Formats: sequence, structure tokens, C-alpha cells
Amino acid sequence: MSEAQGPLTGLRVLELADEKGQFCGKLLGDLGADVVKIEPPGGEPCRHVGPFLDDIPHPERSLSFWYYNTSKRGITLCLETADGRALFRRLAAGADVILETFRPGFLASLGLDYESLHEQNPGLILCALTPFGQTGPWRDFLSSDLLHMAAGGEMASCGYDEADVPNAPPIAPGGGNAWHMGCHFAYISIMAALVYRTVSGQGQYIDASIHEACALTTESAVANYIYRGEVPRRQTGRHHAVGVTNRTQFRAKDGTYVTALISGGLNPRNVRNLADLMDSYGLAGDLKEPRYQDPAVIAANTSHIIDGLLAGFIASLPAEEVYHAAQERGFTWGAVRAPEALLDDAHLQDRGFWKQVEHPELGRSFVYPGEAAIYNGSPWRISRRAPLIGEHNTEIYRDELGLSLGELSVLAESRVI
Amino acid sequence: MPHPRALENIRVVDFSWVRAGPWATRWLGALGAEIIKIEWPESERGRLPSSTTPRHLEVNLNTSGNFNDTNVNKKSLSLNVRSRKGLEIVKRLIAISDIVIENFSSRVLRNWGLGYEQLCEIKPDIVYVSMSGYGHTGRNHHYTTFGPVAQSVAGLTYLSGLPDKPPAGWGWSYMDDTGGMYGAMCALTGLYHRNMTGRGQHIDQAQMVSSIPLNGPALLDFTVNGRGSRRAGFPPGNRAHWPGTPLVNNYRGPTVAPHNAYRTHPGGYNDWCVIVCHSDEEWQRLAQVMGAPPWAGSEKFATLTGRLEHQEELDAHIEAWSMTLGKYELTERCQAAGIRALPVQSAEDRVEHDPQLRDRGMYLPMEHPALGTHKVQNAPFKMSATPAVNHLPAPLIGQHTREIVEDLLGYSHEELRAGFDDGTFWPTRRVRFPYMEEMLQ
Repeated sequence: MSEAQGPLTGLRVLELADEKGQFCGKLLGDLGADVVKIEPPGGEPCRHVGPFLDDIPHPERSLSFWYYNTSKRGITLCLETADGRALFRRLAAGADVILETFRPGFLASLGLDYESLHEQNPGLILCALTPFGQTGPWRDFLSSDLLHMAAGGEMASCGYDEADVPNAPPIAPGGGNAWHMGCHFAYISIMAALVYRTVSGQGQYIDASIHEACALTTESAVANYIYRGEVPRRQTGRHHAVGVTNRTQFRAKDGTYVTALISGGLNPRNVRNLADLMDSYGLAGDLKEPRYQDPAVIAANTSHIIDGLLAGFIASLPAEEVYHAAQERGFTWGAVRAPEALLDDAHLQDRGFWKQVEHPELGRSFVYPGEAAIYNGSPWRISRRAPLIGEHNTEIYRDELGLSLGELSVLAESRVI
Repeated sequence: MPHPRALENIRVVDFSWVRAGPWATRWLGALGAEIIKIEWPESERGRLPSSTTPRHLEVNLNTSGNFNDTNVNKKSLSLNVRSRKGLEIVKRLIAISDIVIENFSSRVLRNWGLGYEQLCEIKPDIVYVSMSGYGHTGRNHHYTTFGPVAQSVAGLTYLSGLPDKPPAGWGWSYMDDTGGMYGAMCALTGLYHRNMTGRGQHIDQAQMVSSIPLNGPALLDFTVNGRGSRRAGFPPGNRAHWPGTPLVNNYRGPTVAPHNAYRTHPGGYNDWCVIVCHSDEEWQRLAQVMGAPPWAGSEKFATLTGRLEHQEELDAHIEAWSMTLGKYELTERCQAAGIRALPVQSAEDRVEHDPQLRDRGMYLPMEHPALGTHKVQNAPFKMSATPAVNHLPAPLIGQHTREIVEDLLGYSHEELRAGFDDGTFWPTRRVRFPYMEEMLQ
């Protein structure tokens, strides 16, 4: 029996995507799809986003590009030439999915509208992932990650208590998560279309909006407004809320923080468990006293328990120690880690989370983050590092489409590929 | 003619509760799968406690607004799975289903006798998606999460905030939303794989673990360059770079200025706008929109490096101008001139004032038997052949028990009544809702 294959093995995806859609292509590729990334000659502009290998800027050294383009093959193609469009049509004829992030109407303006591509390939699924969708008054607006986090509602929920940072602005969490939100929904829509195709044989067109994806990713904020007319306020390191809630983020001895929620609130049972946890370090203060089994006494001493005893307990220990000790006693707490701390996480090592990815042209391999979920029957796998610019031009144009090397040379000279 | 549904004839046994799991199955339901939510009022988490019950209604198992929005497109079977009889019934249901999905701690389903091996005995090609905190393997599999804890442990919280301040984090359970996304993604991917190969599988999704791939560039900066995120000027708030600190990419996109949030007229809590200029040209256009004030013509703002170096001054000037305009007017003026600007929007703004979301039909009214008619959030994608639509309000608890037990599983009406009498379908000492009395007639 051959080596187990990813669940999307056999699927051919054409990706014409920048920062908005490249993560969706990675999600498909790491699960086994043959994702062919089509870049403009000279390479996709995302190759110029840092950080760079050894901080030397170069389109083949962008770590951001590396991360978001694993498990893809790469070719170059200028769609704004007649030859480029003809080649694209041939590629589209053999594709299962096209993922594109061009401005609305761009492909159609080149004569590459979905209808004509679908006519030559009835099973073709085309997902257009754009900032605002193909219709509506904002359709042609420009965007960025920060802009989406503003309009989508993320920023309105994130920020600081007045006591921590007076007059703080709403804060947009980092990491490019607007693109992630759009890509998650795009992936869902593509997979739904693929499942439907297994039954019907029919492809379809998908108009996906990043703005809508972001607007959907604020938990109960919309329901709070619709059912209660409430607009919550921002608080440091915890849920937005209409009224002020207890702190849940505390500074540990090592200067980092711990997220310590008391699930169910401060009731006698939770206070007893909390006292036992703190007492195992001799730091329970007066919390072991029987009077704290009276809800009225607890209520009258909330600040003493939370801001005094709990904060003092966490301030006495390293964050990682608090995290594990609390979890072992059933508290849903966590250390607020910087990403690099995850490399030392034994649980992730047990799960084989970190992957070595070869960069043969550099003669080196690097550690990459692994899978969001373990597919026990069809493994997730980074099949290759991100493609170099035009790395698979010969493989795809000559070996698959049957162009001669002479034709390839001509196309390269005229900047078609 | 109504459109076909992408997941027509797919049945999902949904044990999930609280938020992440139900958010996953909500979308499978919108895509046309039949979602059967298994619930038990004594151990229910998601309907109660409710802080989103309309003020004029009593808080009970059927009046949470947030539950409604999170559980549209589903049916509810109230069933005591911890009883022998309840377990037998759920096994009969699994035998005619395609997907089992749950978001319990790592050992719960196995302890019920419904681990993957047992599920396979009942339905050999079942797609089983477990959505736990830390996964079913690894030494910390028994740890538990809420969204904020997964976000903290996995590094997401740390990436949000101002330098030299505590982390601002995420003001909601981002990883309940996104964990739900991964649950739905796993279910669909497993289903596609099953349709292509005939084989099911167990997919072990974990909220904490799913958070980590969202930090890719930051992690590679460490594993490749040895640079951690605990450093001066990080995280840089809404800026691409914090002035006066080393110039290093912050993993959001290009390092440019201006790139910030600015107060707008009339200065209320959510009167803010963000403006970003990706190039000198965009900056020059912004200067024009601001009326070409003399300060904007200064040499120190003419170059990207100058704008990054003098960001404090630049931002103060921009804010003096932005304060004179409402956030929607500022947005329109900037975007008309080809400048990246959008308003900070609260939920109220999105539902009431966002012209794009209105035009796209993002919030459409739907009637719920206990809550009345309210707007519900729709899919952010439009599929030409199989649109994702909300077609059922969230179920009342146990609303579909008779339909599922009698029509789908073939039990007799007498068996249904017996199951209510012996506590299989509803706790014997708990008052039944009127619709339960009706289904027993």
C-alpha cells in the first residue's frame, strides 16, 4: 500500500492570489491538493513583505511568503497578454478549482469570465475572494488588514481599561487575521462546492467577501446589539462588556501574564478550589477560612480575592508554572505566551506539531508550524517549501501542456511567463 | 425552482455545545446538511446562562438571542445519552448519519462508549470530528480551554496591544469563532474525502492547536532568524511600526506610515477611522484630500522612511484633520480619492449603518417561535448553484424529538411516550414545555 495521502489528493487548484487569499491556497495544498500558484512575471508582490531570511530583502527570502505558500507549485504568467490568456484557458480546462483575489471584474475584463471558463470545464469551481465582494457600494474600495479589522468590528471590541491606558484607541490584533478570516470562509465555500460536485458533477461560481467574514467573527457582539441594543466597551485582555467585569489577566513573577478565568464565577466551590491551588504554594492568604464558603462574604470580598489574593498568587510564580498547576487542578487558565515560547511546549512535541521543511536551494531546512487538526485517515503534510519564482514553468508548460522549450523561450522573452 | 443544497442528504449528529462546535454546525446547516443537535437540559451549556434575552422575555432555555444566531439551521433532539436507552437511540441515529461532531473534553465521547472505534462499528465510513481544547493526543489532552485561554497559550493574545503595556488581547472568543471554522473545515474535508474514497476517519481538531498556524510569520521569524516577539516596540498597536524602535516587520503586512486609527467627529466611543497609505502616491493623495495643508508638504513626510521616523507628528496632524469629519464621510472622501480608509464599526454600526453589508443582505430577519422576528447573520459567500441560506431558526430544546424518534428512527408513538415517562427524552421531574405536551398527544 502506498503512503497515506492527504484528503484533497488529486485536486488541481489554480491560485491567483495575493495576501488576501494565499492562506486559503496553503490550507488546500497542505491537505494534499496540487495547488499551482500563478504569479505575474517577476513574482507576486507579497514576496516583498518581511520579515526576510537574515533580514536581507529579496523576493525569495520573504518568510511571510514562505509561510503562506507551502505545498504549492509556482508558475509565472502575464494575463494581460493574448498568449497569457490562451495559456490560462488551457490551465483552467484541467483545473478543479480556481481561487482568485483580483479586483471585481478584472478577470471578466480580460475575457476570462467564469461563464466562458465553465463552458469549457463544467466541473470548474471558481472562488473570487475579494475585500467586499463583487457587488455593493464598497465593491471597489481599497482595503488592508487594518481596514478590515476596523470595519469588521474587531477593533471596536479590543483595547484597554481606562486605568491601564487612558484614552486608548481601539486596537487591531496583529498577525494578518483579516486575511485568515476571509480564507477560512473561502475554504469552507470551496469544500462545500467540491462536495456538491461529487454528487452533481457541476461546478459553480463563489463570490466571497472578506469584510463579511470579518463582520461574522465577533462572537456574540451582533446578538448583543440585536437582542439587547447593547454596545460593549473594551477591556484589557478580556471580553468586551457592557459593564465593568473582573480582571482576568494578571502579571506573573517573570513579567509575563496569565489568563485566569473563574468559570462560573466566584461561588463557594470555586473559592474552595482556588484556595487549595494557592495553598499548595502556601499562598492562600485567608482564603481557607470557612467564612469564604458564604456567598455573601465572597461577594463582599471580590476585590480582595481577585485583585489581592489571586493577583498576588500569580505575581509570586512564573506564568508557565501557574498555567500548568492550575490546569492540573481543573482551572481553565493559560499563560499569555509570545509565539516563540510554543517551540518549548511538550504537548505540541508529543503531537508532532513542528515540521522540518527543506529549502534545497539554500541547503538548509527550517522548522514550520504544523497542522490545525490531525486527520487520522489522510494526513496533513507540507509537501514542499514555497515555490521560487517560476520554479515549475518548465514542469507545467512543457511537461503538462506540451509546449516546446523554444516556445517557452519566446514566451519568457516577451514577458508572458 | 429552489436551488439545490451543497450538502443535500448529509446528516450530522451534533453533540456540540457552548460556541465553537455550534458555530461549526451552523454553517454545515446553512449549506444544506440536516443537523441534529443532541441536548439535555440538565447539562446544557449554550442556551443558559443567557445575557442576550430580549428584556421583555423571561430567561429560559429557549430565549437566548445569541443561541439563536449560533444555532440556526438545526433540529433539536433532547436525549439522555448517559442512559442505556438513550445511548441505544443515539446509536441508531449515528447508523444513518454521515458526520458526528462534538466539542467535549478529550475523553468524554469514548467514556460514553462512542469512541471512534465504536462509531465505526455502528457506521463504518463515519466522519468523526472532535473539537477539543488540546486534542485527543499529547500529554495535556485533558487541559481545558475557553477561547481566551487558547488565544493566550497559543500566542494570539500577545500579538494584540501597545508596546510596554499589558496585552490588549482579543475582546471576544476569537478562537470560538475560528475554532468553529476549523470544525466546519474538517467536517467538509472529511466528507469530501469520504465521497471520493469511501473511507471515513477521525479528525482531531483542537482549539489551542488551531490557533498556532495563525502566527506563521512570527514563528518563522523565530525559527529562521532567531528573533522573538518579546522585543522593543512590539506589538505596535495599530501601527505597522513603533517609532524609535528597530525597523522590523510586525507580521501584519508592509511596514508603512501612516497606518493607524484616528479619532473622528463627534468624538464618541467608537468614532474612529483607520487610514493606511501603502505608497508615496497614496500619501500624496491623502495630503490632497486633507486640503494640502503646509505641514503635509514638509520634506520629512515626503519619504516613507521620513513618515516612519516622524510618525508621532504625522499622526497628530492627521488626527487634527480627521476630528473634523464623521467616520463615514471621511471614508467616502478618502476612498473616492483612492486612499485606504474605513470606519471602526461597532455591532450597531454594522447592522444599522454599513451600506455594504446592507446591500449584500448580511443581516436578514427570521422568525423564531419564542423570540419573535430578529435579524440573523448570513454567509459571507454567495454560491451560484448552491447558496448557503438560513432556513430554520434555532430549535427550541427538544423541538424535533418526535420527528426524529418516530419519523426518522421508526420508533412508535407509544415508545416516545414511554421515553418521556422514563426520563430518556426529558428529565421526569422537570416541567415540560407546552410543545412537548403537544408532541405527546
